[in-house]
Amino acid sequence: MTGPRSLQGRLLALVLATVSVVWLAASALSWWEARHELDELLDGHLAQAASLLVVQRAGHGSHEDDDDDERVEAPMLHRYGPKAAFQIWHEGRLSLRSSNTPAEPMAQTRSGFETVTMNGERWRVFATRGAKRDIQVYVGEQLESRDSILQGMLRGLLGPMLIALPLMALLLWWAVRRGLVPLHRIGLAIAQREPRALQPIAADAAGENMPSELAPLVDALNGLFERIATMLDSERRFTADAAHELRTPIAAIRAQAQVAQGAGGDEQGRQRALAATLAACDRATRLVEQLLTLARLESSADGPGDAVDLSHVAREVLAELAPAALSRGQSIELEADVAVPVRGSATLLSVLVRNLADNALRYSPDGARVVVTVGLSQGRPLLTVDDSGRGLSDEQQQRLGERFFRVLGTAATGSGLGWSIVRRIAAVHRAEVTTGRSAALGGLSVRVVFAA
Amino acid sequence: MRILLAEDDPLLGDGLRAGLRQLGFVVDWVRDGNAAERELNEGGHEAAVLDLGLPMKDGMDVLSALRSRGVRIPVLVLTARDAVPERIRGLDSGADDYVVKPVDLHELAARLRALVRRSHGQPDEQLSVQGVVLDAAKRQVSLDDQPVTLSSREFDVLHALMLADGRVLSREQLEQRIYGWGQEVESNAIEVHIHHLRRKLKPELIQTVRGVGYSLAKERP
Repeated sequence: MTGPRSLQGRLLALVLATVSVVWLAASALSWWEARHELDELLDGHLAQAASLLVVQRAGHGSHEDDDDDERVEAPMLHRYGPKAAFQIWHEGRLSLRSSNTPAEPMAQTRSGFETVTMNGERWRVFATRGAKRDIQVYVGEQLESRDSILQGMLRGLLGPMLIALPLMALLLWWAVRRGLVPLHRIGLAIAQREPRALQPIAADAAGENMPSELAPLVDALNGLFERIATMLDSERRFTADAAHELRTPIAAIRAQAQVAQGAGGDEQGRQRALAATLAACDRATRLVEQLLTLARLESSADGPGDAVDLSHVAREVLAELAPAALSRGQSIELEADVAVPVRGSATLLSVLVRNLADNALRYSPDGARVVVTVGLSQGRPLLTVDDSGRGLSDEQQQRLGERFFRVLGTAATGSGLGWSIVRRIAAVHRAEVTTGRSAALGGLSVRVVFAA
Repeated sequence: MRILLAEDDPLLGDGLRAGLRQLGFVVDWVRDGNAAERELNEGGHEAAVLDLGLPMKDGMDVLSALRSRGVRIPVLVLTARDAVPERIRGLDSGADDYVVKPVDLHELAARLRALVRRSHGQPDEQLSVQGVVLDAAKRQVSLDDQPVTLSSREFDVLHALMLADGRVLSREQLEQRIYGWGQEVESNAIEVHIHHLRRKLKPELIQTVRGVGYSLAKERP
């Protein structure tokens, strides 16, 4: 339904239409009722008048000569006289009639009501006979007069309405406008916001209390504002973090390059500085890749996708990582006997496994052991990564996943982003990540439990 | 000039150490906040380059602890934290200079020299006494406008004495200023450098205070 575009106009139109319909229906009902009553009343009058005439005529006796046509006509006594008519027939002769009746009987019927046409007008006629059946009386009344009474009544009903309707429209317009004030206030409050303002709409933005019709809307809007704020905030933080975190590798590249430049005759020193420059470039690249991964993760709100076999993912990732681990004398093992389906993205899951396994290898000394298991725990897919490294203190474990938090005292060159990525991927897959000390290996143990 | 470098990033730390060495500094490098605080408390460095995001103890905490204990060594904060409030906080915590990464090595060296100069109350980049002029930036020394060639150590000894501005420096103090960690110091190294300096410049330039140390003869008014 396409109504007026303004809520106020729409309400006004609906209310006015409803009132008009109800009023019209009430008028129609009154009219019908009045007509019925009027008919009964006037018919009663006709019958009464007829019986009076019968009685009076019977009292006259039958002796007088009233053959004279002049005497037959009764005088008109009221200006409404022409609207009523009567005839009195005595023994088949017209004995008395009102002047507006013809010389023929007014109706076909001899007893009871009949509606006839006389002189081009419609008449309601009541016919009755005297007890001796020698007197026939007709009393008639123009139907037009009944109609004019009804029309008068209808005018009385509808007339005020025609005046009242515009007046009511005006009052309703004011009332609706007043009723919609909270809506206007909210609209104004939103319209007057700074373009970047994302604070929730105040509870009193619509006045004293939030109308219950508006509450869901305002709640939804506030939820939206909050989500946008979070998104913008993470975007802003990302930019700041990225700029911040890239400064150190760039500073290293610059310093090493300048060392190479200023090495003079020290060829060995120059080569060393150049190698360090390249290493710093590689690190900056890795950092950029991680930051981009994180940025993509943070802006993606992907729900779970197809079923992915976590065992398969882990096997592939570990196969990639194994050569580097073996070259450090580290052993890396996978315990994954059965296929463990997890709903999600294979790419993201492999990033998750790679980050965890890579962390375990990176922060464990040469010769360390890393065990990755994939299985089910109480029907929920489970991934664990245990290592035989030094493990982490409780405080360090708590700070894992803070951006750029690096476990100190290690020679490894992490960016501190790996854990942010792990946490984010886990969140996307509705998985819980917990850390603890590995019972079997003594180092860090990371458990990722996915939703069943 | 011996400085302490506190930086946890291996590649940047290595680069800064190598670069500052090329520019004539003696650089000792520590990688965490605790070590930095310990070394700075001990003294022996003319200045420090302090990263803020240090392991174990944040650079800002190191700085506050240092200043609250009255250690007045010039500290140049070198950090990735570039927000203005951070800079203000750094300077308010007692930093003498605040430099945001990345930094040009020559600029870093110049700022360090300036900090050291100021900490000795010497506003000029060139130090001069009795016709001997030392340019710390160019690491050049001249005597009566004639350039004199000094070894790196000889320059450092002369620089230290000129900065001391007449005060007596002991043999240990001189050793501390010109030798970094892990550098072998022969027992009579300082005496040898002093001898060479007297020969190359003026015999009466450096005075020996027996049993105490050496000082630069003050200019006669």
